[in-house]
Amino acid sequence: MEAASTPRITCGYLDTYVGKNVMVVGKVLQLRGEEAVIDADGNITVHLNRDSHIMVNSGVQVIGKVNPDLSIKALSSLDLGTGIDYNLANTVVEVAHQHKSMFQYEQ
Amino acid sequence: MASYGGYTKTGYGTQAGNDGGGFMGASQQGSQGGGSKSYSDDSLRPVTIKQLVDCEEAYPGADLEIDGIPITQVTVVGQVRAVNPQATNITYKLDDGTATMDVKKWVDAEKADDNDPKFAPDTYVRVWGRLKNFNGKKHIGAHFIRAIDDGNEVSYHLLEAAYVHLYFTKGAAAAGGGGNAAGGGDSMFVDGGGYTAGGNGGAVPGGGAGNARLAKCSRNAQSMFNYLNNSPEGNEGMHLNTIATNTGMSVRDVLGAADELLGSGLVYTTIDDETWAILDY
Repeated sequence: MEAASTPRITCGYLDTYVGKNVMVVGKVLQLRGEEAVIDADGNITVHLNRDSHIMVNSGVQVIGKVNPDLSIKALSSLDLGTGIDYNLANTVVEVAHQHKSMFQYEQ
Repeated sequence: MASYGGYTKTGYGTQAGNDGGGFMGASQQGSQGGGSKSYSDDSLRPVTIKQLVDCEEAYPGADLEIDGIPITQVTVVGQVRAVNPQATNITYKLDDGTATMDVKKWVDAEKADDNDPKFAPDTYVRVWGRLKNFNGKKHIGAHFIRAIDDGNEVSYHLLEAAYVHLYFTKGAAAAGGGGNAAGGGDSMFVDGGGYTAGGNGGAVPGGGAGNARLAKCSRNAQSMFNYLNNSPEGNEGMHLNTIATNTGMSVRDVLGAADELLGSGLVYTTIDDETWAILDY
């Protein structure tokens, strides 16, 4: 039970989480080999690992580490299907940052 | 089964299998000062795992509390990170991005094992259960676990947990309007500040100043004020016992709430010191 969180973030929060593990929910816009661009209130480049099974236009949840160039190195990815309400997911990120005591540990 | 009873106050309720929360170890409650526990005190609260990890008991043996409210049954949504089948239970490590915690689903040995679905790593599940504190290590004793098919349920759960947290720390969103709670999640949460003082605006006729003061009051004081406000009684106000009965608060809580409301000039005493009416001006 380690006190580690993977905070839910969107594109705008990337620069405050460089070097940290985060969770992003977004829509896959492009898929180029081991690199994908996903939209989470802004475009984020994700470097995928070998076991990633994601599809263009589908929702995806990526957990990974934020690189200094604000791309994300994926540690795990989960296909969420097409019925994802992205506004809702972005709202969760905003709420989570307003009430950090509920959602994340200081890192 | 019964031999576990001595370790924790609530007993090992989940071991009763499908009966789940039924066995509350009533006999062990006897030494508690704070009144007996019953089903009527039970609630099902949506929480994040971090809230469960962080919550503490006020004193050893007391109820575990979040935001000052004792927790009974809880529901969490998270991803399975590890599955560890054991002789008497299956232990899942659950991660919802805020923290991780073990979830134990007890297996009824007499029933066929095949009926219990097992959840693969990385699947999202919703868990209903009770938070257990066993030798200082917390886990969730699950009554029921099911897989989540709709990714939006994860978002929904986190927002609901935030809503309940705000309800307990800052009071209800709107006094008269249950509709607001069910309505647009966007406006309600993202607005931030408007949620507390402004939330009561529509329903309370007392005017802007009163609302701002009410928003600073405790939850008990707010529910007492709302009860007075919604009661059709005349100018004699409401008696202590009536308020206590109808709001479900203890007499002590009502007295505390009344002190608070008196102090902020929202109510006044009428025919005696234990009868209050709303101060309209």
